[in-house]
Amino acid sequence: MKKTVGILAALAAATLVVSGCAASTDVEPAEETAADTSTETTEETTTSTESVLTAVQEAGVVRCGTRDALPGFAVLQEDGTHVGFDSDFCRAIAAAVLGSADAVEMVDLETADRFTALQSGSIDVLVRNTTWTASRDGGEAATFLQTNFYDGQGMMVEASSGYSSVSDMNGAVVCVAKGTTTEGNAALESSRLGLGWEVRPFDDTDLLQEAFLAGQCDGWSSDVSQLTGFRSAYPDGADALEILPEVFSKEPLGPAVLDGDTQWAQVVNWAIFATIQAEEFGITSANVDSFLASEDVTIQRFLGVEITTDEGSAVLDPGLGLPEDFAYQVVKQVGNYGEIFERHLAPLGLERGVNALWSDGGLMYAPPYR
Amino acid sequence: MSPLTGVPTKTPLWRDIRVLKWLFQLAVLAIFVGIIFWLYNNYQVNIQRSKIPTGLDFLDNPANFTMPGNDFNQSSPVWSAFVQGFYNTLRVSVVGILLAILIGTLVGMARLSKNFLVRTVAGAYVEVIRNLPLLVLLTFMNLAVVLQTFPRIEDAWKPLDLFVVSNRGIAIPWFEGSGITLLSVLLAALAAAVIIAWVRGKYSDRTGKPARGLLYGTTIFVLVIVGAWLALGYSWTLPLVQDRGTEGGLRLDPSFFALLVTLVVYTSSHIAEIVRGSILAVPRGQGEAADALALSGPKKMRLVILPQAFRVALPAVGNQSLNLIKNSSLGAAISYFELTQIAQITVGNGSPAVPAFTLTLLVYLSISLTTSLIINIFNRRLALVER
Repeated sequence: MKKTVGILAALAAATLVVSGCAASTDVEPAEETAADTSTETTEETTTSTESVLTAVQEAGVVRCGTRDALPGFAVLQEDGTHVGFDSDFCRAIAAAVLGSADAVEMVDLETADRFTALQSGSIDVLVRNTTWTASRDGGEAATFLQTNFYDGQGMMVEASSGYSSVSDMNGAVVCVAKGTTTEGNAALESSRLGLGWEVRPFDDTDLLQEAFLAGQCDGWSSDVSQLTGFRSAYPDGADALEILPEVFSKEPLGPAVLDGDTQWAQVVNWAIFATIQAEEFGITSANVDSFLASEDVTIQRFLGVEITTDEGSAVLDPGLGLPEDFAYQVVKQVGNYGEIFERHLAPLGLERGVNALWSDGGLMYAPPYR
Repeated sequence: MSPLTGVPTKTPLWRDIRVLKWLFQLAVLAIFVGIIFWLYNNYQVNIQRSKIPTGLDFLDNPANFTMPGNDFNQSSPVWSAFVQGFYNTLRVSVVGILLAILIGTLVGMARLSKNFLVRTVAGAYVEVIRNLPLLVLLTFMNLAVVLQTFPRIEDAWKPLDLFVVSNRGIAIPWFEGSGITLLSVLLAALAAAVIIAWVRGKYSDRTGKPARGLLYGTTIFVLVIVGAWLALGYSWTLPLVQDRGTEGGLRLDPSFFALLVTLVVYTSSHIAEIVRGSILAVPRGQGEAADALALSGPKKMRLVILPQAFRVALPAVGNQSLNLIKNSSLGAAISYFELTQIAQITVGNGSPAVPAFTLTLLVYLSISLTTSLIINIFNRRLALVER
């Protein structure tokens, strides 16, 4: 009896092996022609050939890579919701694609894991204070989209330290977050000014803040927007800290998606453009409904209003794969760029600066929607 | 035909236990190979789809970060960062293993002491430390001890004006001059000491007079060092507070200090138990025989008990050493620049994750295998030869 079981087990195992091999040999051709849709391949490979957009529409939820403790950009509240500038852009994408700003799943990521999460497909889009650099474009399989915040790296010190400029900080210990562009920028600035900084990286900002409080660091270097956020939440009060005037890098922050999915990239891009364009039109979440009756054709097109003429009615669908009223949903449910900025970043003390509309001398510019 | 006459003379192939055993093992092997092949294939497909570089070309890119207390800068290639990480892993491991064995042996012996206080304190040390998770211990050491207990650089402790202790590191007096020369002088002195001790041992065997190898060896060791010092014109520097750090002397990074202390404390608590068990494993008769020869307490330990106990302890202590090397990777959690930290940082700065961590894995593997090779060689030499 036992032997029969043994034979059966062996047979079953053998079948498994054979079928396993068969499945893997089928993968071979797919490897060479990654573009064609092979039905035999594993689930992951099938999804690769269709756009993330389709997958998102099927799932009914956008998985958005974000963080949990960056004041102003994304903070995980006690009730489990995320509040912040980045979180609202996650919601804007969901509102554009699925028509509901709540159809979003926030995935908290460590800095070092964010691109791996994108590459492995465990998130659909990364909106996590990520600087657009050439190496990340090339090496991380990420496509960076419309920058939603133009930032730069600065230095924060204790107000009592007596430093009034970065060049005063001779032989200082400068603390940064691990695995970011700030490490390299701080090192470059130190060698450029000949200051001999010791750059100490920290796993996360909580540990960094502990070290800073204990006096292990002279300077805390990061993007100015982040520093402003941390300063506002500092345990000893915001006045205990001072942000030095110098900004020594360019940090364009924006969403990123996986390389090779143009359709999804365009969708995310236009969700962001919609917030910028709405501000330019003067459309806010409060008055968007009144604009539905606007006589201005560009606004009617933008909001997806059916334009009725004597010849019949028409509505603009540019073929992005988005609903016709996506801009309306984004503005109605999340707000325009200025509103989002005012809601989350202005309270920290951040000025619009280069993030103003192009018509106000800033860099925020949306291509025409027509 | 009666059923009895039909008894088969030969077992059929599908019921032969030897054949079945072979088949079963082949099936297990095939499943294993199949799973590995499937995973690798999946990796290849996914990697090609997302166009992530898979080669080791990233090793030649500029590293784009710096390390405290090091000439390494942001323009150095990534591979040199890995080399530095390798050195730092070795640094904390070698010093850690030596200290852990020393302290572990002392604590293990203390647990068997006849003195109630010594025995209890040692027992408490072992029971508390070895029952804590290592990462918690390390975080505590870093946050509570180094950051909060040590003073800020402005109010640094300066015991005897020889040391500067602050939460930015511990600076100690150090030699001036090249490290290679220092190392060769130390090695030469050690060699001289070992040779003298050996010669004295032979002399003792021949004449029956006491060898005093330790006394002679230490004397020669000190003589060689002092001689070299005078001949080479060595000098030393004292650490001083300068700007926002220290100048001169040798500075131990705060994260190095926290990691080293944690690893030593944790590993020594395990080694203490091994040592205690090994001493108890030496037959009672050995100790009684030493007593019969009227050997003093320390001599009985040094000449009779410990040599036999070490034979028992060696494989287990070797294992603890391997654990310490592997545990040093937790240094990444407190930003000590060892291999894992380097891998994490360089991945954060644009190196591809899978090749970078595969490389890290292989380096750890080679360190561990080399260590166990050394332990095995020692073990073979120490093992009791039985006939």
